[in-house]
Amino acid sequence: MIRLENVTKVYKGDVVALRDGSFEINKGEFVFLVGPSGSGKSTLFRLMNREERPQAGRIFVAGKDIGELSSWKIPYLRRNIGSVYQDYKLLLNKSVYENVAFALEVIGRPRHVIKTQVPAILELVGLAKKQRNYPNELSGGEQQRVSIARAFVNRPLILLADEPTGNLDPATSVGIMRLLDRINRTGTTVVMATHDRSIVDTMRRRVIELDRGTIIRDQARGVYE
Amino acid sequence: MALNLNYVARETGQNLIRNPTLTVASVITVAIALTLAGVALLVGEGVDKLAGKFRDDVQIIIFVSPDATDEQVSAIEASLEENPEVADFSYVDRDAAFAEAQELFEDQPTMADLLRPEDVPTSFRVKPVNPDIDSVLALRSIFQRHPGVQEVTSAAEAIRAIQELSQKLSYGVYFAAAVSSVTAVLLIYNTIRTAMFARRREIEVMKLVGATNWFIRVPFIIEGMAQALLGGLLAIALLLGLNQVLFRSLARNEFFELFRQFDFANSTVVLQSIPLVLVGMVIGAIGSGFAVGRFLDV
Repeated sequence: MIRLENVTKVYKGDVVALRDGSFEINKGEFVFLVGPSGSGKSTLFRLMNREERPQAGRIFVAGKDIGELSSWKIPYLRRNIGSVYQDYKLLLNKSVYENVAFALEVIGRPRHVIKTQVPAILELVGLAKKQRNYPNELSGGEQQRVSIARAFVNRPLILLADEPTGNLDPATSVGIMRLLDRINRTGTTVVMATHDRSIVDTMRRRVIELDRGTIIRDQARGVYE
Repeated sequence: MALNLNYVARETGQNLIRNPTLTVASVITVAIALTLAGVALLVGEGVDKLAGKFRDDVQIIIFVSPDATDEQVSAIEASLEENPEVADFSYVDRDAAFAEAQELFEDQPTMADLLRPEDVPTSFRVKPVNPDIDSVLALRSIFQRHPGVQEVTSAAEAIRAIQELSQKLSYGVYFAAAVSSVTAVLLIYNTIRTAMFARRREIEVMKLVGATNWFIRVPFIIEGMAQALLGGLLAIALLLGLNQVLFRSLARNEFFELFRQFDFANSTVVLQSIPLVLVGMVIGAIGSGFAVGRFLDV
């Protein structure tokens, strides 16, 4: 589903965010990316949805070399990749329902699809009763559920989650992890960057560890360290 | 890409309302630019009509000198008949010329009494084939040198002076219109940038979930064009007002007979303004296109 071949990304000032990184993630896998801040986890995500391009190496997503993608096709790549962030990136002037519907609206989905998909996904993330609320009226965990609903409503092949529990307390985090696990079980490939030791150790999934831009560990059913 | 009209209309409307001061500034600038261009066009048209009217009754008057011999007069007549540039001519003999002069000095009985037929020069009234200034002047110089001719006159200089004056006037107004068009483009550019900045989070999310660039762009470009359209409509209103208070009152003022041709029908004003509004919308599209293009580079 995702394959990196000797990918190197260097930022201005010779900051190496990723050095000669290679790995392959199969369809339906759940993968943790671990490593200290600045080790290159977020860069990896930005490379995978082509917000950035590497200096060397090739990246394949769903069988396509995304380095060869012409810029007008990038939106279509991103429709296959749901993204979840630590800071949720919700639109504060839109209700829960509108936030999720917006994601379908802007990729041109017809209204009747929106009308059925949005309540269904909100049901899935457990926010059916809060459709009309605004993000400011929700707890952090609820806001993250909205952002997961938005990322998943279009049924992408891949879900990239960049520290989705970074702002949440442990109990709430468990809820979010259950949700991501459930999404993973539908066949969606999930890649999650995290600093949360207990989550990684409990889930026992594949772990890829980065340190200053280098992949130093790739372990099936791994632990945090 | 299926562009949802509902979506575009809603987004554009919200953008226009979100930034009232900048929107109003852009609309007014467009309106001023287009009004100036419209004034230039109307002045141009007025002058054309004026010159056309002169041209229709352009005639060259060849005054025969009092001491010209009959042979010289017939020679003039012969060369008028030969000249291919002459459409038609007539000879005003002494009696006719005297009658004309009597009429001219009707209000001044003393002058009329003093006038004797011998004093009045006879003349040829010549209608040229081609009424444009150059050929009129060419004809004039030919007959000027003819023996027995005292003087040749025509309205050519007057026409030329009017045309030159109006050209300069139009250049001035067009220049002002061009300057304010550039200002309008820059202002619309700025308005759209501000609108996009205000909505950067939304745009970020749109890109995140895979909205195409065109989908993101279109509402902003339509916003720019809507501003220009509003400006254009305002310009039509301003031009109609100007037509009423300036051109028409000038045209109907007995004192300025020259401006009689500046009496434009309101429908003329509106018809002339339609291309201006289209130009305005192009201005709007350019301004917003630039603004959006630089914002969306992936």
